[in-house]
Amino acid sequence: MIEETRLPDDVMAELARILPDPEPPLEVRLPRIPVVEEAMERQIIPVADPRLDGNELRYLTQCVQSNWISSAGRFVREFEAAFAEATGCRYGVACANGTTALHLALAALGVGPGDEVVLPTFTMIATANAVRYAGGTPVLVDAERDTWNLDVARLGDALSPRTRGIVVVHTYGHPVDMDPVLELAARRGLWVLEDAAEAHGARYRGRPAGSLGRAAAFSFYANKIITTGEGGMVTTSDAALAALGRRLRDHAFSDERHFWHKYLGFNYRMTNLQAAVGLAQTERLEEFVAARRRNAARYTERLGRVPGLTLPVERPWARNVYWMYGVLVEDAFGISRDELRRRLARRGIETRTFFIPIHLQPIYYELFRGQRFPVAEELCRRGLYLPSGATLTEAEVAYVCDVVAEAREEGR
Amino acid sequence: MIPVFAPWLSDNVRRYVLDCVDSGWISSLGQYVGRFERDFAAFCEAGHAVATSNGTTALHLCLASLGIGPGDEVLVPDLTFVSTANVVRYTGATPVLVDADRRTWGLDPEDARRKVTPRTRAVVPVHLYGHPVDLDPLLALAAEHGFDVVEDAAEAHGARYKGRRVGALGRVGAFSFYGNKIITTGEGGMVVTNDPALAERAAFLRDHAMDPRRRYYHPEIGFNYRMTNIQAAIGCAQLEQADAILARRKAIATAYEVGLAGVPGLTRPPAEPWAESVHWMYSVLVEPAFGRDREAVREGLRARGIDSRPFFVPLHQLPPYRTDAPFPVATALGATGINLPSGTGLGPDEIGQVCDALRALTRG
Repeated sequence: MIEETRLPDDVMAELARILPDPEPPLEVRLPRIPVVEEAMERQIIPVADPRLDGNELRYLTQCVQSNWISSAGRFVREFEAAFAEATGCRYGVACANGTTALHLALAALGVGPGDEVVLPTFTMIATANAVRYAGGTPVLVDAERDTWNLDVARLGDALSPRTRGIVVVHTYGHPVDMDPVLELAARRGLWVLEDAAEAHGARYRGRPAGSLGRAAAFSFYANKIITTGEGGMVTTSDAALAALGRRLRDHAFSDERHFWHKYLGFNYRMTNLQAAVGLAQTERLEEFVAARRRNAARYTERLGRVPGLTLPVERPWARNVYWMYGVLVEDAFGISRDELRRRLARRGIETRTFFIPIHLQPIYYELFRGQRFPVAEELCRRGLYLPSGATLTEAEVAYVCDVVAEAREEGR
Repeated sequence: MIPVFAPWLSDNVRRYVLDCVDSGWISSLGQYVGRFERDFAAFCEAGHAVATSNGTTALHLCLASLGIGPGDEVLVPDLTFVSTANVVRYTGATPVLVDADRRTWGLDPEDARRKVTPRTRAVVPVHLYGHPVDLDPLLALAAEHGFDVVEDAAEAHGARYKGRRVGALGRVGAFSFYGNKIITTGEGGMVVTNDPALAERAAFLRDHAMDPRRRYYHPEIGFNYRMTNIQAAIGCAQLEQADAILARRKAIATAYEVGLAGVPGLTRPPAEPWAESVHWMYSVLVEPAFGRDREAVREGLRARGIDSRPFFVPLHQLPPYRTDAPFPVATALGATGINLPSGTGLGPDEIGQVCDALRALTRG
């Protein structure tokens, strides 16, 4: 049996200052949550939830009635075409989830043992794991304190003769400043893969996230801006890469004869059912993005009056889609991030802590031993995100902001 | 065209899918996932079940949960779908190919014994096309050498070995619920085991190995192999029909046996006295006495509106696993075997058409 990686006590003691406390229990809301205009009855305000009141059910019913529920149905192709178009790409390769999309893209790009792939340390674990699944070695870059994306100025220091490519993550919906990344990559002969799991509909200088590098990987998990329950997609305008991705996704079946496989493939297929939901969701992508941006503006307006919070930014060249509305709880706020979370939870408000940087994860601790990334560690220590789901109402945003302000005033 | 397989879905499929959408629970967090796991464990007469995105990920999860990795060897049958060997490669271990057993078409326990080395960590018997492998000699071999038996039961939902449902007869086993499987969720898979600690590990690794108490904290390299609530909802509806499905499958096999009686040169599927096959694919071997080779038979069936499949290409012939070592039984089965239409909804008329077509094609 594999043993979990256990870190030495002195290491754990140091990490304890950075890592978040365990999740606080979420209590059922108090009766004073304002009645919302849509008369929606909520027990709590969740960080994320989907809206499935478009064509989702109609398309799902078509799947069941036509007996096409596996990955061989027509919605998979229609969803791929519709989402690729929305992303400004020629091709979409739908996958079982965002992690498999990342792995598939890296495998199709030819990452293997001995190859280094540069990525931000401030990201979800799958970004690094996907590199490992392909046999490559992740190399980390610290974050910027304002966009929370990888620090482009430090990117050059991470490159070595073994570097094959760069994975950028559009963190919480704000696009990475791509031009310098693409210039550096072009100069060094590297590919750029966008991890766009958090950035459906985001734009960089007017161009959609997902179309900015050689390929991109999206996630459609239920908490994402558009969802298929679980799901993912590789988008690209490179015909050969898309074709290889399709083949690797389906066990590397060949066209020559039945059950003939020329290389190691995977089963990363998406079902027709997932794709049916995805197509209906894609039809409403702009509407969902607009709703998120509207709620973000409301948060920013109200929380801007609360001292001690650092709010998300939107650079002049960016369209931030605020997948999650994150804030940093600074010392001036008076209580810690974890204490704020506990107080919000007691009032029925769900929150999440920011990512724990890759270099602090037990499984990667040895690999990055001695490397420190102070900005990412600070984001991990201070960051939380507030309810940001598709059904979040104006009244609920106001309630959350009031409770945040009250939590601060209650003091220590 | 009579297809090789088509799903057989009940009205409850639609009802449960509607329920997922109405409740907003379509991800892997919905209530149907847990219910499907409990129901499927009960169906397999096993203690625990862990749902996954598909059969390949289920089998990978079995090996990963056992801690199999670089330097280890895993015995797999030469005649199987390619993912049985691929999952061994995903873990970094080396697949070691074992010839087929004429009696069951599954892996030959005698050849398995010959292939054991000090590095052997597991054997993966595949219950090919629905007929169980002879497990007792494998379980004895594994106990003798201290390695595990991991059943690949992707093709054998409900099959019985000496009266017991396959899946959790070894340390752990994997099922597939692809659209062409006996029980389907479109795409889907399941790990089954009687070992609660192993089930817990599989569930942990399935969800990025995230610490249950601390979000985004990962003590190990895990995967996203989660099943969606919608897939599980379909699985629940399918399991409600399991008895009817298995009864229909038995009837289909019987109809073929009767319909093909007296046709020369067609070897019928295995039927060991200790086995209850579920005939995922009702399959025959086209012998020289039939008078045409396998490809000509498939061609003739296609011309009569009947789809079929050749047997899997033996792994030792595929580029990633190519070796000149002899696998005489798997080679012969791979070259002569054919899967006939076997969908659960297949009626007696359609089976009659297939049998008539085969009879017309014989030159024996």
